Amino acid sequence: MTDFQHLALKLATTQRSPDWLKDLRERGATSWSSAKWPTRKTENWKYTPLAPLQSAAPARWASTAGNDWQNDIELMDLDATRLVFVNGQFSAEQSTALPAGVVRFADANADQRLLIEQKLGTVVDAERHLFAALSNAWANDGILIHVARGQSLAKPVYLLNVSTPEAEPAVSNQRVLIILEDGSHAEVIEHYVSADSEQNGFVNSLTEVVVGNNAKIEHYRVNLEQEDLLHVGGVHVNLHRDARFHGFTLAQGSRLKRIDYQVNHRGEGAHLELHGVYLPRNKQLIDYHTNVEHCVPHCTTNEVFRGIIGDSAKAVFNGRIHIHPKAQKTLAELSNKNLLTSPTAEIYTKPELEIYADDVRCAHGATISQLNETSLFYLQSRGVTRAEAISMLSFGFINELLNQVPQQAVQDYLRPRLTTLFGKGSELVGQLAYE
Amino acid sequence: MSEQVESLIKKEYAAGFHSAIESDTLPPGLNEEVVRFISAKKEEPEWMLDWRLKAFRAWQEMEEPTWAHVHYPEIDFQAVSYFSAPKSMADKPKSLDEVDPELIATYEKLGIPLHEQEMLAGVAVDAVFDSVSVVTTFRAKLEEAGVIFCPISEAVHRCPELVQKYLGSVVPQKDNYYAALNSAVFSDGSFVYIPKGVRCPMELSTYFRINEMNTGQFERTLIIAEEGSHVSYLEGCTAPMRDENQLHAAVVELVALDNAQIKYSTVQNWYPGNAEGKGGIYNFVTKRGICHTNAKISWTQVETGSAVTWKYPSCILKGDNSVGEFYSVALTNNFQQADTGTKMIHLGKNTRSTIIAKGISAGQSNSAYRGLVRINPGADGARNFTQCDSLLIGDRCGAHTFPYIESKNPSAVIEHEATTSKVSDDQMFLCQQRGLDAEKAISMIVNGFCREVFKELPMEFAVEAGKLLEVSLEGSVG
Repeated sequence: MTDFQHLALKLATTQRSPDWLKDLRERGATSWSSAKWPTRKTENWKYTPLAPLQSAAPARWASTAGNDWQNDIELMDLDATRLVFVNGQFSAEQSTALPAGVVRFADANADQRLLIEQKLGTVVDAERHLFAALSNAWANDGILIHVARGQSLAKPVYLLNVSTPEAEPAVSNQRVLIILEDGSHAEVIEHYVSADSEQNGFVNSLTEVVVGNNAKIEHYRVNLEQEDLLHVGGVHVNLHRDARFHGFTLAQGSRLKRIDYQVNHRGEGAHLELHGVYLPRNKQLIDYHTNVEHCVPHCTTNEVFRGIIGDSAKAVFNGRIHIHPKAQKTLAELSNKNLLTSPTAEIYTKPELEIYADDVRCAHGATISQLNETSLFYLQSRGVTRAEAISMLSFGFINELLNQVPQQAVQDYLRPRLTTLFGKGSELVGQLAYE
Repeated sequence: MSEQVESLIKKEYAAGFHSAIESDTLPPGLNEEVVRFISAKKEEPEWMLDWRLKAFRAWQEMEEPTWAHVHYPEIDFQAVSYFSAPKSMADKPKSLDEVDPELIATYEKLGIPLHEQEMLAGVAVDAVFDSVSVVTTFRAKLEEAGVIFCPISEAVHRCPELVQKYLGSVVPQKDNYYAALNSAVFSDGSFVYIPKGVRCPMELSTYFRINEMNTGQFERTLIIAEEGSHVSYLEGCTAPMRDENQLHAAVVELVALDNAQIKYSTVQNWYPGNAEGKGGIYNFVTKRGICHTNAKISWTQVETGSAVTWKYPSCILKGDNSVGEFYSVALTNNFQQADTGTKMIHLGKNTRSTIIAKGISAGQSNSAYRGLVRINPGADGARNFTQCDSLLIGDRCGAHTFPYIESKNPSAVIEHEATTSKVSDDQMFLCQQRGLDAEKAISMIVNGFCREVFKELPMEFAVEAGKLLEVSLEGSVG
C-alpha cells in the first residue's frame, strides 16, 4: 500500500457513518487496500500520474465553510430543484425544498434506506475502478434520486458542488444514486465549481444510475473547478430494456482530473447518447475514460468527444466499446476529435473496439489536427482578424456539440464562458448561438 | 450451411509434412554455455559473442510481456532447444547437387524456385532450413551490382564493420523480451547491403521453414540501404504440421539512409494449429526500420498462419520528409490469435505515415489491431492516416482495435478510423443470385476487402496471398 492508500483508510476511520452502510464501507476498504497502486505501467493510468494526489497528501476532511463563496459563483439559471454541497457537505440553507424521491441518505425513510442498501455500489465495479472502491470506503452521505414507475420529475435536479479554499489539503467525497423505475424520466445536472483560485483539495465523486425499462434520463456533468483542485470522478450507468441515457459532459483540466464513464447495456433496445467536451489550458491535465459494455442485442451507442488543448496542457481520452458475444445487431459509434493549439500541448487518444459478435456495425474515428488554414484565410479575407478567426473557429468546433444540449440553461451558462475562454468577448455569442 | 462449414473447416493444413533429416541439435535449455556454443559453432569473433552475452544477461532480468490480447500456456524457455542444423552441413555442399536430396525434395514440395525454377522466377533465394542457410543463389549476379545478400553468420566474417555498426542499432538488445532472447541465441538469418545509389536488380527473397521438433527458430535479418538505394525484400514461410507448440522469435532491422527505399513484404503461413486449437507456432516478432532524410520504408504483410502472433512492424521516421507505410492483412481461423499492428514514430519534419490494416476473423479466433502513432514535438507538419477494418465471419470470433495516438505537435494532422462488420447479407445475396456458391462469394468479398493491401505486394506474392486467403478461409462461410 502506498502512503495515500494508508492515509485514505485512516480518513475513513475518522468518519461518522450510519451502520447500514458498514458493509459497503468494509468492502470498499478491502478493495482499496488490496488494489495495486497505478503507475505508468498500469494501462488505465498510463498517461495520468497520480503524483499530485500523493504529494498533496490530504489528511483531513474538508469542512463546511461559510456562505462567502456565493459572490464568486454564478449558478445556472434554471427552474430546478437545487441541492448545494459545500466541500461535499449538504447545505440545507442554500438548497431548495426537496420533492418526494429526492433525499439525503441521512434523511432517507425505511423504504428508501432499503433501496439504497440494495443498489448503492452495485452499478459500479469497485474491483476495476480504484477510486470507486475509495468512494465505497468513504460512503457516509449522498443523494438518492428515486423516480417511481411511470413518473417524471417535475423539475430538473441541479446538484451544485462548491469547493472552497481550506487551510490544509482536504478531501471530500461526493456520492449520487439515481434510480429510475420503469417508464420514468428525470433530468439531472451535476455542476462542479470552486469558489476561489486557492484550491488544494481532492474531490472523489461517484454517480451511479439505474435506468429502468423504457425510462429516460438527461444527465449533465460540468466540471469547471480551479486548476489546483484534484478531482477523480465517475458516472456508472446500467441501462435496461429500451432505456435512454442522454449524457453531456464538459470539463476544464486541473493538476489531476480524471472522469470515467461506464455504461452497461443490460436490456435490449437501450440507447446511449454521450457527448463530451474537454478544454484543458495552462499546465492542466484532463483524462476521460469511457467504457461501454454491450451485453445484450439490439442496443445502440453514439459517443462524441471533442477537445481543444492549449498551452502546455495534456489531454487523455480513452473510449472503449466492448461487444459481448450475445450482443448481436449492435450499432455503436465513437468519434473523438482534437485540436492542438500550442506547440507544447499534448494529446493521447485511444479509441478501442473489442468485438465478439459478428452481426454488428461498429466504428470509431479519431483525429488530431489544428484549425484549418483555409478556413482561417477565408475569414481573414472577409476582414476578420486572425485572433478573432481562431476564436470563432475554436468556438464553432465545440458549439456543434453545445447546440445539441437539450437543456437550454446549460447552453446559456456555458456559451459565454467558452467564448471568453477562447479569447473573445460575448458579442460573438448572439451571432453564433443558433446558427 | 453450417454442416458445409463444419466439413470444410476440417480441411488439413496443406503444407504439413516433416522431412526426416538428421540434425545436430542441442539439448533443450538455455544458459550462458548455450550462447557460447552457438557462437563457437558459427566461429564468431569475440565482439559478436560479447554482444550475445550482453543480450542474454539483459534477457535474464526481463519479464515476459503480458499486455497483448492473446492467451497461451506459459512457455518454458528451458524446454526449448536453441540450436539445430541439418547434419549434412558438416561436409559443406559445394553446389546444389551435393545438397541432401531430401532437403531439395522438401523445397520442391513447397514449390520454392530453387533449382531450375530460380531463373524463371527471377528470384534469389536464401533458404533457411532450420537454423543454417544451406544454399544461397544468385550471389554472383548481385555481387556485380555490389549488393551483398548472404546469411548473417557469413556477413559477420565478410563485412564485420557493417554488422558491428548496424546490428542492434534499430532494435537494441534490451528492446523487449523476445528481441533480447533473439539477440542472445539467433542462429542465422539474412543480411542485405545495398550500396549507395544502387537499385537492387532483382527482388530478394527468403523462405524460412521450421523443421526440427521442439526447436525454436530465431532469425535475425538486417537490411542496410545506403543513400539513394532501393530494395524490395520478400519473406515467406510455411511450416510442417506438428502438435507441440513451437516458438519463433525473429528480429528484423531495416536501415534506410538518406533517400533510400526499402520495401519489405511478408507472407506468413506457419502452422496455425488444428481445428481444436492444438499445436501451432507461437510467433513473437520484432520488426523495425529507421528512415533517414527523405527515406521510405514500406511494410506489407499477409498473416494467415501461427497459433499466436505478436508482431508490430514499425517505422522510426527520424529524417525530415521520410515516409513510413504499413499494409497488413491478418486472417485468423479456428483458435488462432493475432495481436498485430504497427508503430509509427514521427521525429522528423514533414514525415508521413499510412497505415492500412485489415483483419478477418473466422471460427473461434481473435484478431486484434494494436497500433501506435506518436508525433514528437519536433515533427512539424507530420501527417498520419490510419484505417483499420475488421471483418467477422461467424459469431464466435472476435475482432479488436487498440490504437494509441499521441501527439505533441500542433501542426501534425492525424486521422484514425476503424470499422467492424460482418460480410453483408446483401453482398452475399447478390453474388449467390449471380450463380456463385457461398464459398466463392466469401472469397471474392474477402479479396475485395483486402485489395488495398494486396496491390502493395509484389506480383508473385499477390497471387500467393490471394490463394492463401482462399485456402485459409475454406469452410468458414456461415
